[in-house]
Amino acid sequence: METLSLSKRYGKTDALRELNFTVDEGEIMVILGPNGSGKTTLLMTLCTILKPTSGTAKVMGIDVVKDGTKVREVMGIAFQEARGFWRHKPSSILKFHASMFDIDPVKRQNLIEQTMKELELWESRDKLFMHLSGGQAKRLETAKVLVQRPKLAIFDEPTSQVDLRGKRKIWDKIRELRDQGSTVIVATNEVREAEYLADRVTILHKGTLVVRDSIPKLKDAIAGGDVVEVGFEDPVADKLVEDLKNLGGILTMSPEGNQLRANVSKAEDWVPRMTSASYNTGAKISTIKITEPSLDDVFLHFTGKSLEENP
Amino acid sequence: MNRVLTLASFNVSQIVAERAGLFLSWALFALQFGIFGSLMSHLVQSSKVQDYFFFYGVGLMVITVFDTGSFVGRRFVERAHEGELPYYLSLPISRRGFLESQAIYGVVATLLRAGPPLIGVLAFTGRLNLLGAFFALISLTTLGLGISGIMISFSFIAFKSIDIYNAIIAGLSALLVRFSTVFYPLSFIPSFYSPIAVFSPLTYGSDLTRWVLGFDPNLLLNPILAAVVVTAIALGTLSLSAGIVDKIIEGVKAA
Repeated sequence: METLSLSKRYGKTDALRELNFTVDEGEIMVILGPNGSGKTTLLMTLCTILKPTSGTAKVMGIDVVKDGTKVREVMGIAFQEARGFWRHKPSSILKFHASMFDIDPVKRQNLIEQTMKELELWESRDKLFMHLSGGQAKRLETAKVLVQRPKLAIFDEPTSQVDLRGKRKIWDKIRELRDQGSTVIVATNEVREAEYLADRVTILHKGTLVVRDSIPKLKDAIAGGDVVEVGFEDPVADKLVEDLKNLGGILTMSPEGNQLRANVSKAEDWVPRMTSASYNTGAKISTIKITEPSLDDVFLHFTGKSLEENP
Repeated sequence: MNRVLTLASFNVSQIVAERAGLFLSWALFALQFGIFGSLMSHLVQSSKVQDYFFFYGVGLMVITVFDTGSFVGRRFVERAHEGELPYYLSLPISRRGFLESQAIYGVVATLLRAGPPLIGVLAFTGRLNLLGAFFALISLTTLGLGISGIMISFSFIAFKSIDIYNAIIAGLSALLVRFSTVFYPLSFIPSFYSPIAVFSPLTYGSDLTRWVLGFDPNLLLNPILAAVVVTAIALGTLSLSAGIVDKIIEGVKAA
């Protein structure tokens, strides 16, 4: 899948600005961005529901503007808002969806039953859609794509409104879909979801592509990316603070003088030197905690804003 | 099954799922026809209209078809606002195929809502014959398609403002029904607004249906003209709708 200078404008608002990026076959690409960053517009354009203002996109070489029907044959989307039919049961909605995508009628029923069981919808099979909970409706939305098994599967915030157990199940099924050969695009503003699923991440901010890479490379791209928190038994001497400053990184000492937070490029190099310096000054270390930057930190680094902030 | 038919049958199954509404519409029709039709036929004494009870019954069917056509068009708008339309637009079916499925849905909805009342009216008035009923259904269904087409053609307004759409449709509906021959022949309509009545599709639909059911042609518009107008409205508005679906309507405006 590739976008070619893809832009979408609503009135005076640019929802997408000259997007150029590719998604490789068989990978999970996570589009990460806060609300209003253009994620949903991008997905809606890819699946031909919205028309781009300029530029285009190609799915398996098929142009979304010129040949929308063919694009829709190879892709499936799980919408952010569950698209159900109030007076239909989940199984009949899935049956209709499968028949529209020419799923073998012989296998269809088994596939629907299996998917519903895996997503814990089987117990609700006789409920009308309007009686499903928000989480169940959302899982049904995901089930449509899982039953369909498209070559390009698109999930727009697949686990919003879903409980933690349900989230894990959906994430595992999305990975399974990838392992079975589908290319997957997931839009989310949840860091944990992105970390769990992504082969690569595209960060979108105000309709513009900020950066795109694998998670380890994105994290490594942040200078001072590793965070080391050191606890001392007693307040440390000024000399040790000076010595540690000479090791590099950005140091923050707690007011009590016994908690140190250091943002360093490579914790594995910095920690041995820090322990050595501490030993030389007689300071006793009680705890050491090393953490990686989160994708929120990555987002903050590249956009200057937190994911939780409004665009 | 062909995807157009699959989609149409799924939509029809929604009407069946809401069958209480269907039974209620038949019951209301029977009530209206039985009470008001009977009362009106006693009040209207004219040598020109031999059986006003039947005349009224056909008019009531045209109103039912109009309501069904409006319902199909309004449903289209509601689908966009409630989020069903984006789902439909993501299915592997061309935009034209999508509209064809909606047209089939409209035809079946018209048959389901107007068919039993038609048979009931014909049977109750002792005029039941299969050929007449068949052609009356064709006439009513074509009219229903035209009405759906008109309502869908206006749907682009709803994407700007659902309130303006509702206001326009309510006003238009009132005018189309009042200024038509649904309940009275054109020759009975006062001269100051009879010229307006010839612009209502319901005038042509009513007169064509009455003609195929054997009413006095002297009270009706030329049936060939009526058939041409009803067919042209159906084809014209459906083509316009196809253009709107293809060029203008987008499933959702997303951030």
